Amino acid sequence: MNRLDGWGMMGTLAFGFALGQSAWAAGPDFSRGGAAFLKKHCVECHSGENPKAELSLEGFTDSASVVKGRKTFEKVLRMLALGEMPPKKKPRPTVGEVGAFTEQVKAVWDFADRHAKPDPGRVTMRRLNRVEYRNTVRDLLGVDFDPTESFPSDDIGHGFDNIGEVLTLSPVLMERYLDAAETISKRVIVVTPPKPAVRYLAGIYLQPGGSTTKDPFRRMDQASEDAKVAGPFTGPGGYFKLTDDAELFFRATLYAETTSQEPVRVALYLQGGGVSKGSSAAELAKVFGGDSPRMKGAKILKTFEISAREAKAPQIIEVKISRVAAANAGIALVKPPSGKPHAVLRIRHLSTEGPLETRPQSHRMLLGAQTGTPPAAQQREIITRLLRRGYRRTPTPAEIDRVVAFAAAQMQAGLKWEAAMQKVVQVVLCSPKFLFRVELDDRPTAPEPRAIDPFHLASRLSYFLWSSMPDDTLLDLAAQGQLTARLDAQVDRMLADARAGELIRNFMQQWLQIQRLRTVAPDTKRFPAFNEPLRQAMLRETELFCETIMKEDRSLLELIDADFTFLNAPLAKHYGISKTGGEQPRPLKFKGAEFQRVLLTDRKRGGLLTQASVLTVTSNPTRTSPVKRGRWVLEQILGSPPPPPPPDVPELEENGETVTADTLRRRMEIHRKNPSCANCHAKMDPIGFALENYDAIGGYRTQDAGQDIDASGEFADGTKFAGPEDLKTIISQRKGLFVRCLSEKMLTFAIGRGLSYRDRPAVEGIAKALEAGDYKFSVLVKQIVKSEPFGRRRGIQTKNTNED
Amino acid sequence: MANTTISRRKMLKGLGVTMSLPWLEAMGPLNAWADQPTDSPATKAVPNRMAFLYVPNGKNMVDWTPQKEGVGYDLPAILKPLSKVQSKLQVLTGLTADKARAHGSGGGDHARALAAFLTGAHPKKTDGTDIRNGISVDQVAAQAMGGQVRLPSLELGAEAGAMAGNCDSGYSCVYSSTMSWRSATQPLPKEVNPKLAFERLFGSGNRGDRARRDAARRSILDFVREDSKDLNRRLSANDVRKLDEYFTAIRDIELRIERAAKLPPIEAPDYPAPKGVPGNYEEHIRLMCDLIVLAFQADVTRVSTFVLANEGSNKPYPFIKVSEGHHDLSHHGGKAEKKEKIRSINIFHSRQLAYLLEKLDSVREAEGTLLDHSMIAYGSANSDGNAHNHDNLPILLAGGGCGTLKPGRHVRYADETPLANLWISMLNRMDIKIAQLGDSTGGLKHLG
Repeated sequence: MNRLDGWGMMGTLAFGFALGQSAWAAGPDFSRGGAAFLKKHCVECHSGENPKAELSLEGFTDSASVVKGRKTFEKVLRMLALGEMPPKKKPRPTVGEVGAFTEQVKAVWDFADRHAKPDPGRVTMRRLNRVEYRNTVRDLLGVDFDPTESFPSDDIGHGFDNIGEVLTLSPVLMERYLDAAETISKRVIVVTPPKPAVRYLAGIYLQPGGSTTKDPFRRMDQASEDAKVAGPFTGPGGYFKLTDDAELFFRATLYAETTSQEPVRVALYLQGGGVSKGSSAAELAKVFGGDSPRMKGAKILKTFEISAREAKAPQIIEVKISRVAAANAGIALVKPPSGKPHAVLRIRHLSTEGPLETRPQSHRMLLGAQTGTPPAAQQREIITRLLRRGYRRTPTPAEIDRVVAFAAAQMQAGLKWEAAMQKVVQVVLCSPKFLFRVELDDRPTAPEPRAIDPFHLASRLSYFLWSSMPDDTLLDLAAQGQLTARLDAQVDRMLADARAGELIRNFMQQWLQIQRLRTVAPDTKRFPAFNEPLRQAMLRETELFCETIMKEDRSLLELIDADFTFLNAPLAKHYGISKTGGEQPRPLKFKGAEFQRVLLTDRKRGGLLTQASVLTVTSNPTRTSPVKRGRWVLEQILGSPPPPPPPDVPELEENGETVTADTLRRRMEIHRKNPSCANCHAKMDPIGFALENYDAIGGYRTQDAGQDIDASGEFADGTKFAGPEDLKTIISQRKGLFVRCLSEKMLTFAIGRGLSYRDRPAVEGIAKALEAGDYKFSVLVKQIVKSEPFGRRRGIQTKNTNED
Repeated sequence: MANTTISRRKMLKGLGVTMSLPWLEAMGPLNAWADQPTDSPATKAVPNRMAFLYVPNGKNMVDWTPQKEGVGYDLPAILKPLSKVQSKLQVLTGLTADKARAHGSGGGDHARALAAFLTGAHPKKTDGTDIRNGISVDQVAAQAMGGQVRLPSLELGAEAGAMAGNCDSGYSCVYSSTMSWRSATQPLPKEVNPKLAFERLFGSGNRGDRARRDAARRSILDFVREDSKDLNRRLSANDVRKLDEYFTAIRDIELRIERAAKLPPIEAPDYPAPKGVPGNYEEHIRLMCDLIVLAFQADVTRVSTFVLANEGSNKPYPFIKVSEGHHDLSHHGGKAEKKEKIRSINIFHSRQLAYLLEKLDSVREAEGTLLDHSMIAYGSANSDGNAHNHDNLPILLAGGGCGTLKPGRHVRYADETPLANLWISMLNRMDIKIAQLGDSTGGLKHLG
């Protein structure tokens, strides 16, 4: 495990070497081999009273001593790797001897780490990154605020943008937080609600039919046989904005003409699909008389007496409609007492005003309180709820008091209550308790490992799986002390939630380094197929593919080799999979940008290594880079990154020839003959060559510049391969390396700190459980959240923990 | 606006813990220039400014370094675009950024180059856990002169920070994308969005709105500071460091608000507020250059940095017919075709510098131009991108520095002369006396 070496970063806690002498019986033995190398090449100068470079290498004779002297040996390995030691004038060990020594020292550490006592380490408190800020604001306040343009980009450490140590807070960012808080608070709470909208439907447009009169008043006379004249008249509920989640006023403006002394009565009613329970037949008969088919299913809202008798002074009648999405809203004459003549109604318009509630949903959600309690208690209830969700824990009474007092002071200074509450939202959004994932600790320097607080666990879960704040379920479980006991069930619930898409977008994209797709600029002269839709499609394919592994809880090994993928028209064309028939559940027919799941009939595609996203970000703008691809596979898939190139070595010598796949390969073979390059390139290059059938934007090719592609080769250990299919097979066989690598990456993302050798036992535990659990995605997530570093921590004793 | 030592001292005292740098004690009465010409056009009524522009991946040095020294030097291909301002330009040859070298840390010359450029410090190799570099020259100036202007400094860029992984052989991306360091542990992110940079300089809304908003913000900041002061007790040392960043940021904003209340109002310039990040790279750079000119002209700030592209940037330049990535090309292996393309990129960047300098020179101020009252440093801490060497750097110093510089010359320095010596000399010309910055060994002679 190359990558964990020398990453010691968790302070200088006395971390006891846990293995007794006897435990080494099963481990690598430094006294055989390594010790002799040390004696032969190093000890002569690095010993005695005044060792060279004040570095004594005496006494390192067995495996236990190599573990104790870890920092010393890290230095030794570095000097050997750089070829700076032993000095030039002394006899030089061969490359093979240095390699064997290095391998043995690493094997000793590896063994010790795997058998060490678990150590949870300690995470530095994490500032919310841009994605987390956006999601948290959405879940806390119910508005979507996109900070990508205004907040500076988050710095990246250990491959991820959620690493506590690395996320800094500059004055510029703080200014932007203030800006954002102002904008957001004004969107979620309104001080002066806008007036409700009013919609009129002029008489001429009322159903049925239309009026031919030029009179602005439409005539309704039930004595007429003509329905257009007789009414009843309705207007469409859709136009009136009738809806089942709001209240509005329904009005009619009218007067009546009558020859009778009887009062003229009308009814406002609703009719249609949105009416769940209409008025009874008896009631309808009483109002409209007899069997009135036109009124079937109607719900009478209210009846009115119309006393207005002239157009100059019409009467307005109104009724409040509460949460009904009717098909129609209408007006009808009430049947006059038997024998009396019908009146004639003249209707100017029907209208609605509403929805009456013009404050945003967030306003009501945030400022709602139990009715019937005194205002002070309501205020406290509102603030307590906001602080609990904003700080992601139970606020202390003192904290609540301070915010209550702050709001009161704002009102005393002349602000309306709503405006004062906007300020309260602002202070929450600008508080370090919101901006950072603060994990308060009564004993920050106590070295014993212990479980983290349940609220901290809730946040660690939600930011890991959702990149957002914990929901009420998690907070409630934390408050009841039930969260730890129900971890599995909660993880299942959270992974099934739509918010888990964030895990794919944020973790997977960074792990695979494919966010770079957004900025890569392949040479469109050489690769005319590359355009914006294809760029989008590449990213989306990988996202959908990974999401499916998660949603269907499939084996992680399918990330390497799978028989399905997702394609849309541009990508299918790019892959040349337009009409793969045969085993498809149904014939393929791609519709533009829309994606569909595709069963692959050969192994040219399938799995991350052969997806255009990965192949493009590991290429140069004008050509493929076998070295970059090889390095990517070693680093991101196998977890054994090559060391960086030695300083002052130019990358490739070229002699005026055009770079083709063939010349590239020849040049790199020359390169690998140079001993200072050979060691690492022997690992990187073959992997890259196995992927040479894919051009710099991931298109499949059998030729490059007129020459046949040769995608065969041999790994350093002698394993031969004939092309990408073999490469997938070989990596699948090394699944232990792959799942350890993936576990390390995901653990890093989950806990927000770089791993050190002290995390080895945790990674081993996760890998073992995966092996036993069919490598299922959910096993990985559950093992991570139950791991030592995720659920526990210890204090750190030293002030300056930067110096390890 | 006159420089007064007293107010600066007072101001710095007010900054408290973050500002307690030893060199402040050395700040004496302001400036008596031994080598200042007596007939200098400089008057203390006009302030001096400094800007630092960075271009990555080194240069084709044969097409950069003039053959002739002194006045009347020749302009090789890369410097040709600067012919109009040649008389206001000094080409400084022979400077070295020693701290960009490996010194036992292995590969990573790109990350180290940008990190060491303004700091003279050797950045710590880390993928993130414990970022450590040194304070940069612009921030020394910003912290010393902050009280006199609205914004102590302005950090600009035309390429966003890298989005994935470590950027160079185990160095965090922050090193290869950040030029300004407020302290050894606090990199200052650069603003790449001209719209936001403009708003930072000139605000949005009218003066009354701004004053009201500032007052409202103070009440928010007062509350959060009071409300959070008892957190420290229950945090680890690492957490406390993060919380300190927060408190420092708050303090910074409060100071800015205080200054805004005291300083005379700035007039929003007669310049259309930028809309966002232009799709065209050249337009993007020029918009940023315009902002530097506007900021200096309105005296909103006197210190600016501008990263034209991140160090190690692999950006292609298709608009000048270079479709390969810049970094890939810089490892030209001596191949003529690649070197030509590198030169094209170098010339492109020179054209952008010329745009800035000509623009500064077109703004009249007192007896001269804005350029006469500025010091604009331009260059890279990589010399030849193929060799990754950090000596004999391509460095230009433009402007008159309020009469403290004698431009129009090519000056050759002894090999291994620290680049940081130039920064010391520039600070001195801002009336900031500081004994050392990073690996500096003193001031740089023969500048004026």
